Amino acid sequence: MKRRDFLKKTAYATAGAFVAPYILPSGRLFAATGLRRVNHVVFCLYAGGVRNLESIHMNDGNLMPNILNGNLPVASDIAGGMQALPASPLPQTLQTFGTLFKEFRYYEGPTGHYNGHTVALTGNYVATDLNIREHPRNPTIFEYYRKHNSPQQTAMNCWWVANSLGPYPALNYSQSGDYGPIYGANFISPTSLISPQGFDVLGNPHVFPSQEQAAINNIRSFTNGIFNHTYSDGSSGVVNSPADKARLQQFITDMFAQAQNSSFLNSWNAGLSVMNNDMYNILFANEIIKTFTPELLVVNMQDVDVCHFNYTNYANNLRKADYAVAQLWNTIQSTPGMANDTVLIVAPEHGRNFYGNTSVDSFGRRALDHTAPNDPGFTGDPNLQMAREIFCLVVGPPNVVVQNQVINTIMGESTEIVPAIANLLGFDSGIPSGNIKDWSLCQMQAAFI
Amino acid sequence: MKIKAHILIIIFIVSVAGCTKEKKYQYNVNDVTVVQEGGEKNTRKSTTEFISIAYSDLFGTSIPQSKLINLSVAYSSFSDLEVIEERIISNFLNDSAVIIPSAPSVNGDTTEFINNSYRKFFNRTPNELEKHYWKELIRTNSSVTPATIYFAMMTSDEYRFY
Repeated sequence: MKRRDFLKKTAYATAGAFVAPYILPSGRLFAATGLRRVNHVVFCLYAGGVRNLESIHMNDGNLMPNILNGNLPVASDIAGGMQALPASPLPQTLQTFGTLFKEFRYYEGPTGHYNGHTVALTGNYVATDLNIREHPRNPTIFEYYRKHNSPQQTAMNCWWVANSLGPYPALNYSQSGDYGPIYGANFISPTSLISPQGFDVLGNPHVFPSQEQAAINNIRSFTNGIFNHTYSDGSSGVVNSPADKARLQQFITDMFAQAQNSSFLNSWNAGLSVMNNDMYNILFANEIIKTFTPELLVVNMQDVDVCHFNYTNYANNLRKADYAVAQLWNTIQSTPGMANDTVLIVAPEHGRNFYGNTSVDSFGRRALDHTAPNDPGFTGDPNLQMAREIFCLVVGPPNVVVQNQVINTIMGESTEIVPAIANLLGFDSGIPSGNIKDWSLCQMQAAFI
Repeated sequence: MKIKAHILIIIFIVSVAGCTKEKKYQYNVNDVTVVQEGGEKNTRKSTTEFISIAYSDLFGTSIPQSKLINLSVAYSSFSDLEVIEERIISNFLNDSAVIIPSAPSVNGDTTEFINNSYRKFFNRTPNELEKHYWKELIRTNSSVTPATIYFAMMTSDEYRFY
């Protein structure tokens, strides 16, 4: 072989090796846009406004004993307001399974719940108040995943599980022309749907035998063929395939059946009087994990926002949220297909004010709002910026996430979570440059091997 | 000789009459507007519209306020609207108060049933193709019940628009 031919063939072979899809030992096929570190990511928004003073700095004792190391007892003046919770389902605190950023930041924009959720799910700060009737302007992590992951995945692999309605259903996809509902996530607000009211109107459907179902499909095919609009073009939201719709119907039916059973609602033995909306939201998210083993799931909690009126209940709900996160990780690690192949990211959407408002609870504690100044050039009292101070915990397999690491310096910010998820699932290089912070510039890299 | 003259006269008359100028006919077609069935329906029903219209169609009365609120909450709680709408309709159909006509007979009131169903759900009369399709379906498929037809029509694309 001539030297020139040899060099040419070698060059082609090398280029081909990079361009061709990779077949991983797991048997999965990925395009060469990026290698995955794990096959599943769960992002838990420990939301509602959590102040670092109570969470990682433990000013009132360790209110998050399932997540954080430390035996500090709950402050004696509010201890009477704490409800008993079962022992942790985890062998060790969650922070030992990963990296804790103690001084994570939410640097820009209004410190509102919807703003904070939007920033966390789009990877972009929002400088102004948002229209809560609209989908976000920037693409969400769900759309990036569904558009750029290779092979492309359906919405069954991609879930947004919200603890409430209001504007939150709109976070499953954006207004962006390049993305939108065809790349959106399946959204569910379980505590709104799987409720006594929900059961009253949706819990007793007429079941059509298979022959009748076939006739229905036939009729619909005929009538839809004549009509000139389609309902499945994305104009009405996320659309699943007929087969996936059948699975979703069955899941809803199963959840209604489960919810009739108090032993399911009390699966964690916490007691029905202790279970709050956050805990139920995680309980149902766990069912989604067990049923669908999604590659990307985002779930939130917001019961700590009672802090606008009652500080002690805020502290109590911080403990419940902590317990729920431990149950979330326990489910992930107990679910075949997700165990040891999942990274869990936990972070509040924003913090709370240093200074209390005028409400005082029965334990004599002043309530707290979350209203950090929104002026980029603000140079006043630094305590006024406390609502921008949050934490971020990343846990996962030891070969992916640095274990038992605590970062005490100011490092990482809310807009790095989307790039982190994209990198973990191997599709970050497919996202157009400038859409989100470049992963190579993200300080969250310190969490990963 | 006389006969010859007659023949010549006849030939002359025929040939003169046969030379009549041929008429030219020009055919035109009247303009006809072709409309796709349901084509004027461009607006998707809102959540409240879908629920309250479906309820009225099946129960012959307005939906109670509390039921409308519960259904609206459930509707907003899941992103795939087709999944929720199918569930809403199938729950309505399982309600003992639902008003469904008896099974249409092949030889009896089939046409009337089809016409009424189209007027109720699609707010129009069926065209000949649709009438033929439905008659054939009802005649040949024993598993097609009024509930099946109602469910299929109410979960079809046309029912979601007005």
